[in-house]
Amino acid sequence: MPDIRDVRDEPPPFLGTWPRVYWAVIIYLGVIILACYGFTRALE
Amino acid sequence: MTGLDWAVLFTTLTVIVGYGLYRSRGSDTVDRFLLAGKSMPWYAMALSIMATQASAVTFISTTGQAYADGMRFVQFYFGLPIAMVVLCATVVPVFHRAKVFTAYEYLEQRFDAKTRALASIIFLCQRGLSAGLTLYAPAIVLSVILGWPERATILLMGVTVITYTTLGGVKAVTWSDVQQMIIIFIGLVIALITLVHLMPSAISFPDALYLAGAAGRLNAVTTDVDWNDQFTLWSGLIGGTFLFLSYFGCDQSQVQRYLTGKSIAQSRLSLIFNAVAKIPMQFFILFIGAMVFVFYLFVQPPVLFEQAELDRIQTSGAFRPVAEQYSQAFERRRQAALNLLEAHHAQSAAGVRQQTEAYRSAQHDIDGAREQAARLVGSSGGDQDYSDTNYIFLSFVTKYLPVGLVGLIIAVIFAATMSASAGEINSLATVTMVDLYKRYFHKQGSDHHYLMASRWCTIFWGAYAIVFAGWGRTLGSLIVAVNKVGSLFYGSLLGVFVLAFFFRRVRGTAAFFGMLAGEAAIFATRFFTGISFLWYNVIGCAMVVATALVITHIKASPVISE
Repeated sequence: MPDIRDVRDEPPPFLGTWPRVYWAVIIYLGVIILACYGFTRALE
Repeated sequence: MTGLDWAVLFTTLTVIVGYGLYRSRGSDTVDRFLLAGKSMPWYAMALSIMATQASAVTFISTTGQAYADGMRFVQFYFGLPIAMVVLCATVVPVFHRAKVFTAYEYLEQRFDAKTRALASIIFLCQRGLSAGLTLYAPAIVLSVILGWPERATILLMGVTVITYTTLGGVKAVTWSDVQQMIIIFIGLVIALITLVHLMPSAISFPDALYLAGAAGRLNAVTTDVDWNDQFTLWSGLIGGTFLFLSYFGCDQSQVQRYLTGKSIAQSRLSLIFNAVAKIPMQFFILFIGAMVFVFYLFVQPPVLFEQAELDRIQTSGAFRPVAEQYSQAFERRRQAALNLLEAHHAQSAAGVRQQTEAYRSAQHDIDGAREQAARLVGSSGGDQDYSDTNYIFLSFVTKYLPVGLVGLIIAVIFAATMSASAGEINSLATVTMVDLYKRYFHKQGSDHHYLMASRWCTIFWGAYAIVFAGWGRTLGSLIVAVNKVGSLFYGSLLGVFVLAFFFRRVRGTAAFFGMLAGEAAIFATRFFTGISFLWYNVIGCAMVVATALVITHIKASPVISE
């Protein structure tokens, strides 16, 4: 039986590397904040 | 609640709990009981992380906040994606490679035993208090729906959660979370669709948006710089980042979730999912609260949404003028809302200005009447800081949602609470067993001995949560209360992990006294300033790091010269 505490690491299933995934998340956050800001301004 | 609602409620809960227990079979070793044998896929961990944080509070309190204060609360989550990225890049691989059961176990590897013990105790204090609040939420539901005493329902829910957690371990908790999040998503969508359909036929969806916006209920972003304002863009981005770094990086109730992952990549993916999904989900829930506000523009809501307190103050002579003012203000607001829409459709700028003023004036009077009613609760023997925020959504659900859907929403609230509470109690038991009992009191026990110790710890913490849950009523809006309690302790925990990861020269003693200084700074901020709780984490973390660096510099130990 293999040691259950064996540690494996793999690349992400998309975008190739983890730093690219992280940058994608940060860009996504910027878009979300801008969308929320636009939502607020448009409807206040 | 009709018979169909009860059937939906009972069936949903039975299936969720039964499925969780079914998937937890074989949790007969400590590894499997506490870490699920490192076998969990990313999507199960992702939904479990989300469910543990969401709990019943998400439904009960967030919607009420949007009704009363608008959608500003969504900014609280703006720091979450940043925190997730930092954790994926730093904490997740380190914890996996350190092969630990708890986050605090790593602190002994990096610093020393006393730092680990202090961090463990701080976590136990903080999470033990929060676990009580998590249990309190469904007690509100039962007291509103069934008229049961809150303390009795706290006891009933607590005992159920203890039983479930003691039998199933982390695997049962995780798999039941998956079911619960699926039901939560379904329940959310159905609730919003139903809400829009319940609006008067003359009110279109864009009209509803316009009216909610005119009343300031769609204020998702506030760019003001105000240290005392709890929810602004800046407090969310900076304070929120620190809070979520603490919560997901240093709180065992979350760390334990991604420690069950098959690999580092699977754990990272579970956090990335939350980074992407959490803000839209919270936005959606707050939006439901804003739509409940629009619904009540045309159907007069009660002065207070908690029926028991309303019944009590209605006997007071001072209530009648408050009720009259409220009814008159409601009628003025309803008429002003209709007039505002008419002016808006006619594209009359002057009309819009005039009617907006009338609309907001009436809203101001309604808020004033509600505040007076809340003060009557305080002056008639109730809580001095009484708030009925937690009853707004439930009151709407039980009065206006169709048969069957009421049972589903109540089931969602129950299931989410059971899961969140189970996760918290499970993590408390893990830290008590691994970081204290096994480390200090019984170092050479058998696997079976530690498994049984874990189960006894689960029972102990469940009982502790039940006792603290009795205080929930005095803490106002639940979701804010949960985060406030967390913020009293998270800053120093985050600080010690920042030292561990980014300041290689700092050693155990400096880290230990840094934590003590950080905790002192947080409590001083809490009791001697009006600074919002979101900043406690920043202050605590900064104090820990600064103190530890000063001590390290003063000591100038041989290690530093390496």
